Amino acid sequence: MNRIEYMKRLAALLQDVPVEERIAAMQYYNDYFDDAGEENEAQVIAELGSPEKVAAEMKAGLGKRTENSGEFRETGYTDTQFEEKDMPVKYRTSGQRGFEEQQSGDQYGYSENQTQERKPWTNKWLKIALIVLIVLVGAPVLIPVAIGIVCCVFALALVAFCIFIALVIAAGAVAICGMVLFVKGGLLVISSMPAAMMIMGIGLILTVLGIVATVASVRLCIIVLPGLFRFFVDLCRRPFHRRKAVA
Amino acid sequence: MVFNTGAALLDAIVLAVVSQESEGTYGYKITQDVRKALNVSESTLYPVLRRLQKDECLEVYDRQFDGRNRRYYKVTEKGLVQLNLYRVEWKSYCARINDIFEGGVNS
Repeated sequence: MNRIEYMKRLAALLQDVPVEERIAAMQYYNDYFDDAGEENEAQVIAELGSPEKVAAEMKAGLGKRTENSGEFRETGYTDTQFEEKDMPVKYRTSGQRGFEEQQSGDQYGYSENQTQERKPWTNKWLKIALIVLIVLVGAPVLIPVAIGIVCCVFALALVAFCIFIALVIAAGAVAICGMVLFVKGGLLVISSMPAAMMIMGIGLILTVLGIVATVASVRLCIIVLPGLFRFFVDLCRRPFHRRKAVA
Repeated sequence: MVFNTGAALLDAIVLAVVSQESEGTYGYKITQDVRKALNVSESTLYPVLRRLQKDECLEVYDRQFDGRNRRYYKVTEKGLVQLNLYRVEWKSYCARINDIFEGGVNS
């Protein structure tokens, strides 16, 4: 029987105890196996005894409360347990006979347990050291990366803003260009009338197109830029107020 | 061992073992520590721990260890009072038995 089979059998035997008792017991024995280590699995199973015995002891323990009178009682269920244990081998059932050696041989098990004892502390310090190490190693990488991300977001915002401003400027430039052409055409009236008329016409068309484009792009900016601004503010806020940003 | 260990004595031993660790200790270690003094079956101690926990002599808490939760046991105020009672009782018990064993004729 291996650990998993043992635990399954124990769980099955504890079906009739309250759920919280079963969970607590299963956790205890699971911890027990974990702490004993994989290499001691067979030994633990042998020393615990059959799942039937463990379950019976547990159920007996649930039903009975110690009186806590401070008396050293010589009777009771736990007692019979020890009696059975302390009895010579011949009184034991054949299934238990094999444990004798392991139980008397538990002295050698202690050297392993001693290292087990100090484990939580070294482990705790090890974890702290590991965290410090991660921070030390990670910081030179993480901080520049974070700065880079922030800069990228900022640059993207700036680019979006500039594109719209550029649209307005371009439209304005077209309008100005048209006006200049109109004036230039006016100067050519004396020397070459048809050329002057054509240039002035082009100038008028460009002026009108430019003004229309300027008005349109300004309108676009009025609609788009506040939205854009809000989007980036949200983006910046998200890492700090996750819930607000979602809401 | 020739003598039986009663439930109360086992309670006292477990309380004493757990009280030695201010941070609390866990089932496997309690079992191993008790077994240094007493050849009890490994399965005996869980009911004892559970009973002491229900009597509020022990409290439990879970702590991360090696990527899993390990249940730790810690003695409560009530448990300490109980343990002191056990200690006093044990001393007088031992003294009386010793009197009979060694000085019974003289006294």
